[in-house]
Amino acid sequence: MIRGFFGNAKLALFLAFKSIWKGNRWAALLIICVMALSFAQLVLTPAIISGVTHALNSQQINMLYGNVLVDPDADSYYLAGATEVRSLVEQQPGVVAASAHLAAGAHIEYNWQTATDATATNKGGDWRVIGIEPDNEARVTTISRTMISGSYLSKDDSDQIVLGVEIAGGPQASSASFLNLGGVKVGHKVRLTYPNGTQRVYNVKGIFKAREGEADRQAFVSYKEMVSVLGPELSDSASQILIKTDRSAEEYAVAGSLKSLGIHGQVRTWEEYGGGVGGVVGSFNVIASLIGGIGLVVAAIVMFIVIYINVLNKKRQIGILRAIGVNRFAIYISYLCQALFYAVVGIVLGGLLFGYVIEPYFAAHPLELSIGSVSLATDTVTIRNSVLGILAAAILAGVVPVVNVMRHSIIKAIWGN
Amino acid sequence: MIRVKDLHKTYGNIVSGTHALRGVNLWVKAGEFVAIMGRSGSGKSTLLHLLGLLDRPTRGEIYLDSKDAIALSEEQRTSFRLSRLGYVFQEYSLVSEMSILENVYLPAVCLGRAGNYERRARELLDTVGLGHRLTHYPSEVSGGEQQRAAIARALINDPAILFADEPTASLDGGSARVVLELFRKLNRQLKQTIVMVTHEPEDGKFVDRVIRLEDGLVSQEA
Repeated sequence: MIRGFFGNAKLALFLAFKSIWKGNRWAALLIICVMALSFAQLVLTPAIISGVTHALNSQQINMLYGNVLVDPDADSYYLAGATEVRSLVEQQPGVVAASAHLAAGAHIEYNWQTATDATATNKGGDWRVIGIEPDNEARVTTISRTMISGSYLSKDDSDQIVLGVEIAGGPQASSASFLNLGGVKVGHKVRLTYPNGTQRVYNVKGIFKAREGEADRQAFVSYKEMVSVLGPELSDSASQILIKTDRSAEEYAVAGSLKSLGIHGQVRTWEEYGGGVGGVVGSFNVIASLIGGIGLVVAAIVMFIVIYINVLNKKRQIGILRAIGVNRFAIYISYLCQALFYAVVGIVLGGLLFGYVIEPYFAAHPLELSIGSVSLATDTVTIRNSVLGILAAAILAGVVPVVNVMRHSIIKAIWGN
Repeated sequence: MIRVKDLHKTYGNIVSGTHALRGVNLWVKAGEFVAIMGRSGSGKSTLLHLLGLLDRPTRGEIYLDSKDAIALSEEQRTSFRLSRLGYVFQEYSLVSEMSILENVYLPAVCLGRAGNYERRARELLDTVGLGHRLTHYPSEVSGGEQQRAAIARALINDPAILFADEPTASLDGGSARVVLELFRKLNRQLKQTIVMVTHEPEDGKFVDRVIRLEDGLVSQEA
């Protein structure tokens, strides 16, 4: 029996080899093309959506939160001993840098000298102002690299402010002009009124566009300047400490190790912090799964049709093989091997097409969306699912038509009556 | 060698369907070369399909090489067809993706025969005059040569009975004669039992006996 099994398997491989090697080249090419393009499409669609979610996540990390954050305890407004905490944090494995934020709300006005009523002229509004140590901040967030006008803060700046584009307004802002300052330019003066009544006039040193809505509605002054506004008792305090982790470090592991240090504050990862965006990302993942699933079904149907037609064209040949005594098992396995061969070649070619053409193209020409530049992001689960999907579809498409032909009598298969 | 009793074949419904065979009785002795003749629709091809185990009768008995062919399961029929029967089809029936030599030894590979089946295939191709066409593909040889290759294929497993369904129908006069002379040579020299369906009266002179079918019944034997 075992000898029979191996004999049939050997025969099936021989039939499959001859059919592939000496069969219709155009049909084989068409099947392989369909397989390759189906595979590339199965990987591409989720990769675009993953790219969007990846861009959203990157924006959250690079513009707002860093990878891990330390917040004051629930009953405090500020973290005490910020310098020590920051220094302790930076010594932990996996931590690249940390930046302390000392934040306050402020009413920001522009052209206040000429306006009799700031509200009436629509040149004022309430925004969040953050005191930072520019060098530390530049090691944690990338806002310093998103300046569209002027320059970033320096350590000793005291009468300088950097504005997000959605505060400054102007042609690059996406919000309506009545929701921003209406077009502040670098070198112009703005007046800030803090909740404690302190009023300061700053020179606008730079305007940034982070392409992250919340980040673009923030303004930055130096940490020293913010301490001078809020009072010397906060000279070593922080509203928040942002931590950038090493690319290879596991954020939850870093957060866990920081918690074990006994810092008086709440340690969270950016994902725990950005719950709202997490929901958006989750929704995108659902959409990606749906599109991927539909793509797989469409690819399976296309492959099924192409292979089905190819097998039907060999109906007479299958009948002849049966008539001369080739058993069913060998014929099934032969067509299964052919389908798997086409699928594997298609997957390899599709993978090469994706890896060497599509992905580099998107890397060189990313999609410019409002959330930032989106390039493709692939993951092993998507690739594994696509490979399995193509193989499953190929097996079905290769075997089902043969089963169908086998159900007919030999005479019907040969003469089609 | 072949014994058929009250063989019926109806296509479609038993009452209103087409009655291709209505109770055929015949026998063929070992080593005999028999032609089944008749007009189109007389049931001669249907009879050959049933004898060659390519189809199942509606009713009746078939004994091939003393074996009750009706009682065989599908797998047993396949195995019996492979080891004991050879079949030459009406039209070119070679596998287009295989060389002439591969086509001929394919049934031997299926049977898992010990020994050098490739050498045996070469010998058979020499016998049918195709020793120079071993590596050619079916599309590269003439219709007559394809049919001779199909005969060599049918003989590779040393069948007890060789069936041929209008083997000269698609051939020109010269090629048809070569094929018929080959059959006669096989029958005379190797005592090969051959049952051939034909509608050409001329073919009758190559065979030992002619069985005539008319409306699904044997009308005459000569």
